[in-house]
Amino acid sequence: MARKVAIVEDDFDQRENYADALKQSGYEVATYSNRQEALEGMQKDMPDLAILDIMLEHEMDGGFDLCRDLRALSPTLPIIFLTARDTDIDRVSGLRLDAWDYLTKPLNMQFLSVRINSLFRIVDSLGKSNTEAAESERLVIDELSIDADSMSIRWQGQELSLTLTEFWLIESMARHPGHVKTYDNMMQITRQSYVERNTINGYIRRIRNKFKEIDPDFKNIQTVFGVGYKWNTND
Amino acid sequence: MLLLLIPWMSYIYVRDMKSFLLSGQEDALSLTSRAVATVLHDRPELFTQDTKIESGEADVENEIYAYPLPNYINLDGDLSDWGEQAKQAALYVPPKPSVNSVQEQNTDSSDFGVTDQESLSNQPSLAEIPADQDLQVRHLLGYRGQFIYSLFTVKDKYVTFRQSGFLRVDAADHIRVTLKDPSGQEKRYTLIAREPGRMSIYLMDKEWQYPITGDPNYDLAAELSLTDLGYNVELRIPRFMLSSDTGVQLSVANVDDVDTLAVNAIVSTTPKNDEDLSRVLVRAPEISKILAGLDRADTRIWVIDRQKQPRAVVGKIITDVDVYQRDKPEISDDFFGYYLDLIRYYYNFALRKVFSYIVDRPNHGFEDYEQTIEERNDQIIEQALAGEISNDRRPSLDNQATILMSAHPIFSGDNTIGAVVVEQSTNQVLQRQQSVLENVISVTLLVLLTVVGAILLFASRLTLRIRRLRNATDNAIDKDGRIINQRLSADARSGDEIGDLSRSVSNMLERLSQYTKYLRGLPDTLAHEVSNPLNVVNSSLHNLAQENPNVANSKYLERATNGVNRIGSILRNLTEAANLEQALQAETKEVFDIVELIGNYVDGYSISNPDQKFDIVVHASPLQVKAAPDYIAQVLDKLVDNAIDFAAPDTAIIFKAQRLDKFAQIDVINQGSRLPEGMSERIFEPLVSLGRKDAQKSRLGMGLYVVKLIANFHGGDVIARNLSSSDGVIFSISLPLYNPDPINY
Repeated sequence: MARKVAIVEDDFDQRENYADALKQSGYEVATYSNRQEALEGMQKDMPDLAILDIMLEHEMDGGFDLCRDLRALSPTLPIIFLTARDTDIDRVSGLRLDAWDYLTKPLNMQFLSVRINSLFRIVDSLGKSNTEAAESERLVIDELSIDADSMSIRWQGQELSLTLTEFWLIESMARHPGHVKTYDNMMQITRQSYVERNTINGYIRRIRNKFKEIDPDFKNIQTVFGVGYKWNTND
Repeated sequence: MLLLLIPWMSYIYVRDMKSFLLSGQEDALSLTSRAVATVLHDRPELFTQDTKIESGEADVENEIYAYPLPNYINLDGDLSDWGEQAKQAALYVPPKPSVNSVQEQNTDSSDFGVTDQESLSNQPSLAEIPADQDLQVRHLLGYRGQFIYSLFTVKDKYVTFRQSGFLRVDAADHIRVTLKDPSGQEKRYTLIAREPGRMSIYLMDKEWQYPITGDPNYDLAAELSLTDLGYNVELRIPRFMLSSDTGVQLSVANVDDVDTLAVNAIVSTTPKNDEDLSRVLVRAPEISKILAGLDRADTRIWVIDRQKQPRAVVGKIITDVDVYQRDKPEISDDFFGYYLDLIRYYYNFALRKVFSYIVDRPNHGFEDYEQTIEERNDQIIEQALAGEISNDRRPSLDNQATILMSAHPIFSGDNTIGAVVVEQSTNQVLQRQQSVLENVISVTLLVLLTVVGAILLFASRLTLRIRRLRNATDNAIDKDGRIINQRLSADARSGDEIGDLSRSVSNMLERLSQYTKYLRGLPDTLAHEVSNPLNVVNSSLHNLAQENPNVANSKYLERATNGVNRIGSILRNLTEAANLEQALQAETKEVFDIVELIGNYVDGYSISNPDQKFDIVVHASPLQVKAAPDYIAQVLDKLVDNAIDFAAPDTAIIFKAQRLDKFAQIDVINQGSRLPEGMSERIFEPLVSLGRKDAQKSRLGMGLYVVKLIANFHGGDVIARNLSSSDGVIFSISLPLYNPDPINY
């Protein structure tokens, strides 16, 4: 059975392009152009994943409001924000609402498919029983524990709330501790269209902050000035 | 300027007031003259002959005054009845011997009732007997009723009486009286005594030696009394013997030597004049009595008869103008009071200096004829005598003051029997005018000073406020043109124009800052707006490729994708700066050595770009700064990118680290083209670009703007300038050192 993806986007062209691309990838797609419509439609027919724009017609924060309402309907529904708004505040707001990912336009359609795939894999892994989960591939470096299937990362036993991009970045660094991941490498890993060094810096900054919320002394991600970053082991 | 009108108008006003006062004074004078005339109306007896004994002589030198006496004088040697007037007695001493000898030649004479012995003995005494320096005579003339009295107080060591048996009347101390009536006939009388008491009086010949008749004269009466120092003589002359035209000479002849009985000194008590004898001036007693009540300090009243002879004079016109002169204050304990007084004193002093140039000052003393009226403009007197009332002004005879005159006729029945002339100097008016003017000027001056002071105060306060406002306005915008304060605190609450200005500047700043905010938000908004259609293009290209495999391999699709990517890159750049400011606020700073960071950076950079050469020149190490290392690395990124863009091929980028006082300075130097004129400041502004080397690489001009933002955020700065030695550009970023130690040179 095909997975069902809901797209909430007020721009007709983008909405239809997303829909076409996702249908091409084999998903069932439902499109909505505003918050009211989307909420009513999804209440009747809950999708497996929702892609939300933040600005919906006249509502500046329509996407956030919709996210809140959907979260009330289904605590586990994967939600992706896909927006032109690219400020830290918006990112933080979106992730605080338990969105699974925050993507900025313009976005490469291929990457969108990849991400959606990844998210469904997480959904699948969450659905597995505990025994199955224990068998899943687990990468452990010191206090860091990475579950590749559920795409979750624990630091000192506590799970970090990460976006897909953040997970991929940590994973890529942690897989080869002590090796420098250059900016160019990391740009690929983010699976986004347009990435500058500063964008990477921003991701790393946010990642560090998340670790520091658990462990204020966290300093395993080291900046290699002019090149990139690397994961340091505790040794 | 208008204020200067006040003293000017005051001056005009005071001048008007002066003429008004003068005419008022004239009126008052004419009223006075009329009043006096009214009193004297129909009293012709006042002008009768027997009282008319005043002198009309112009020769002041030759006059002798008779003082009115309080009582009739008893010829008894008791001087108490002379009253206070006795003190008026004038002192006379004998002339010098040489003069004496000439005088006394008159005494050399033939014998009339005088023995030969005396006559002979008279001769040698001239040369031998020295002038008696002890002889002093005090003489006084007075009048009372129908008599004129004369008092001689003689200080004489040896009082010589007429010897019994001696007939000569010049052989003892005696008094000589000479009367010369208007016709020129002279009569000489000698007063001599045998003992204290009533004196004998004889009409004498020209040589004062022999009595003409030998019979005593009883019209005159005299009494001699002895005193401790000499003797007193009281003489009574009936008035009929002394008319106003009668010349008179009085003198005291002294004889000391009892043996020779020669006259050794003659002391004249009247002004000496060989040609004319002195006149006695006696004021008409009745008129004077009447006028005495009118006696005022500043008014002179004349009563004149038909012959223009003054009958009476009362008062004087030389008024003492009491000019109040503030004394220089003494130093006292009261310091404040002392300085206040001192200020007043100098203020007063300065004012007087000023006034003396503006107004006529009243004269303290001016010369005017005291007793004569002859040489005056007697027109008004004639008019008055003709029965008219007239007024006149004349200068005093020394032209020092103006004197007002008013004349009024005195009638007896229908006839004019005389005139009253009242004179008054204008000093009082001048005095009043001056005091008014002084008041006005001092008040004006005070007002002016106060106003000027107030204006100065006001102006300086205004200046201060404007300066404060200017400073506040200056400080409202920093050197990069960013608005720091939207609200000016200076004078924001004052209700006047400066307050308005302050508020409108605040308003302006607020609107400007809103506009700036809008401008700063513009790239973000723009990026946001462009993102959506770009996303449409992007997704459409993707779908197109999916739909049509031929298209997917087309080079045009690839180029289109490239173009879209570039637009996306531009958008990221645009939003980077805006996001950076927010991101910086959240960033935690740490302390690190910037020299080490540069080393790491260059190492890392060389890995990814092995072709690029770097030189590092370290002048000081370590340079500890407290900053966000990621952003410092980003600054280096931008500067290096920039340097590589403009560097000449195969030249090294030079890093230079040095310490400047409390700052670490990092220079990034590249050889190559120079900055265009005037660009070194502007290059750090957003969206300012110098053009590009690689057409594929977009240059929005945001990079250096980001550098400046980061430098400023860390309390540092960045400047760009051309190399002085060769072509090339140097970018210097300075960051404050963390806990800088004092530099040891």
